[in-house]
Amino acid sequence: MSSETAFIPWTRKYKPKSLSEVVGNEEAKRKILGWIRSWEKGVPEKRAIFIYGPPGVGKTATVEALANDLNMEIIESDASTYRTEEAVRRFAGRASQYGSLFGMKRLIVFDELDGITGSADYGGLREITEIVKNSRVPVILIANDAYDPRFAALRNNCLLIEFKKPSKVEVMRHLAKICAKEGINADEAALRFIAERSNGDVRSAVTDLQALAQGRTRLTYEDVSWLASRDRKEKIFDVLRMIFYAKDASTAKAAVNMADVDLDMLFEWIYENIPYQIKNPHELANAMDMLAKADVYRGRVKETQDWTFLRYVIDLMTAGVASSWSKKSAGWTPFKFPERIKTASFSKEERMLLSEIGRRIGRKCHLSSSRAVREVLPYLRVIFQNNPKMAKGIARWLDLTDEMIAYISGEQ
Amino acid sequence: MWTEKYRPRTLDEIVDQEEIVSRLKSFVKAKNVPHCIFAGPPGTGKTTAALCLAHDLYGENYREYIMELNASDERGINVVRETVKTFARTKPIGEVTFKILILDEADNMTEDAQQALRRTMERYSETARFILIANYSGRIIEPIQSRCAPFRFTYLPREAVIERIRYICERENVKILDDGIEAILEISEGDLRKTVNILQTAASLNKPIDAEVVYSVVGRANPYDVREMMLIALNGDFIAARNKLRELTQKYGLTGIDIIKQIHNEIFRLNVPDKWKVKLADIAGEVDYRLIQGASDEVQLSAMLARLVEAGYEIKRAL
Repeated sequence: MSSETAFIPWTRKYKPKSLSEVVGNEEAKRKILGWIRSWEKGVPEKRAIFIYGPPGVGKTATVEALANDLNMEIIESDASTYRTEEAVRRFAGRASQYGSLFGMKRLIVFDELDGITGSADYGGLREITEIVKNSRVPVILIANDAYDPRFAALRNNCLLIEFKKPSKVEVMRHLAKICAKEGINADEAALRFIAERSNGDVRSAVTDLQALAQGRTRLTYEDVSWLASRDRKEKIFDVLRMIFYAKDASTAKAAVNMADVDLDMLFEWIYENIPYQIKNPHELANAMDMLAKADVYRGRVKETQDWTFLRYVIDLMTAGVASSWSKKSAGWTPFKFPERIKTASFSKEERMLLSEIGRRIGRKCHLSSSRAVREVLPYLRVIFQNNPKMAKGIARWLDLTDEMIAYISGEQ
Repeated sequence: MWTEKYRPRTLDEIVDQEEIVSRLKSFVKAKNVPHCIFAGPPGTGKTTAALCLAHDLYGENYREYIMELNASDERGINVVRETVKTFARTKPIGEVTFKILILDEADNMTEDAQQALRRTMERYSETARFILIANYSGRIIEPIQSRCAPFRFTYLPREAVIERIRYICERENVKILDDGIEAILEISEGDLRKTVNILQTAASLNKPIDAEVVYSVVGRANPYDVREMMLIALNGDFIAARNKLRELTQKYGLTGIDIIKQIHNEIFRLNVPDKWKVKLADIAGEVDYRLIQGASDEVQLSAMLARLVEAGYEIKRAL
């Protein structure tokens, strides 16, 4: 990669070139395309569309991709230009009355309409409304909030098109595509984390990805998870230190109030770190025992829905663990991030696949799904790895999907 | 799959369990079936007997007259209330005036669901008969037991299993050696489903089935990872043992209960003093109970592993 391309923001580098590359919002894209096509049969009833939605969901990108697909010329005004009545007329007045120049069709775009402020621009808004009413060229307006009272008159003359936040999965898929092109081997959990954090803002997700992954060949959950704990990490370490090395039971218990992670999360941190801090076999067994008992009480909270049982969970997971060892640490050992949280979501999906395979076996073999997984699947694995012909017949008979077949045939 | 291909279709085809079969045949003759409990170990023909009974009673289209529910999959009181009632409510068309509801793994039903079932059984006994299938009839509540005709299925005798193995091999054109049969018998312990599954898996290698082939496919199907995990712990490496545990649950999809069962099987095969075996069995029992109560698999099993680490340490010190 040359140094020149290295500094191009990925949001620009991977900007969609075609409508089909825009992440999510299929319905909105279809509507826009339908409207623009209707211009081929003459001026439609609504000469303008008003695209609105939260930041970073691809409103501007969609319009640019559309223009690219249809080979149209964009005449654009964004918040960086003046939008007084006079300026708008100068910018779009003529353009809106004459079709194409050099055979290229035109598209007039007013982006970032929310940015129109104050009385200076107010006349501009009125002028935009006039242009929308009379334009002979398609006009596209873009804003975050179409229902701002200032846009009332404008709104009535436009086809409203809402852009929604793309789903986590859609964002993840987009990030995965970028990683593939950049030659980065990224864990699903890492991408999921970035996507989740972005909350549907594709732009910010891509920006985050670039900050975290550029120049790497591998991106793990550990590499990205610090984003969440950026401010909190130090704090959780203090809390853990307070629990593991507490002078007395009340200090250990008090640590819970300092933690700004929830109790289940704190439990995971303690569980992960017990064997790293406590090495003596007796003490390790005792400390794990305390935690296991805390876990039993946690189950009782769930079962009875009686939250007063939580006090016993807290006693055992803090004071219980602290008092079960001599605190003669073999030296300073860093605290570890809980492994279980990293892998949990992955195994959940796999579990779902597994239980669906179990259901399909069970349906044919008169077994419960769990028993099928336990008693039949292990043999199927061996058959699928050894005898493709027999496997094929069984797969067809059980009505297994390709994903299931791949899973069963996998060496693991 | 061969378990289904060679599952008997009619009561006549059932090779063993003669007493049970003759009683079931008398039901067919009378065109009347009471509520039944089929109890017995896995792979002894309980589900097969229920399906064959239905076949003989209703003829080829018997599927229209029965409903199969698996209590482990569709457990809970709502299933009894909704699905079972809807099915049980309507009268079938034809000579036989009732439908049959086969409730597999009924011993996995909660007590509430069983209570609800009991009333459903009573209310709709005109139009529906229930066959409850269970490994342990003891886990079925007394009021239901007293309303059902009990049938005890036992492990098939050696000869019957051997005969079945030979029959299938002949049909499938598979060559099997005597020590291969012995090995299958040893591993499957009278469970015919397991027997046939092992047989088919061994046959998939496309070579004559001898003891070695059998052990190799069974070994590959059930990797001895649980034992390995225990040995790692006994050797003092808790962190590695816990990673192994995570692998078992995440990679192989084993549940905590599966693992604790296997741990228990292995305890008495470990090379540790008897005093420790008993101690560890006690701990395993406690973990097993907690898991059934809904505690977290990994945390409880980790605590068990920590005890194994402790045991290993103590044993070494005593030497």
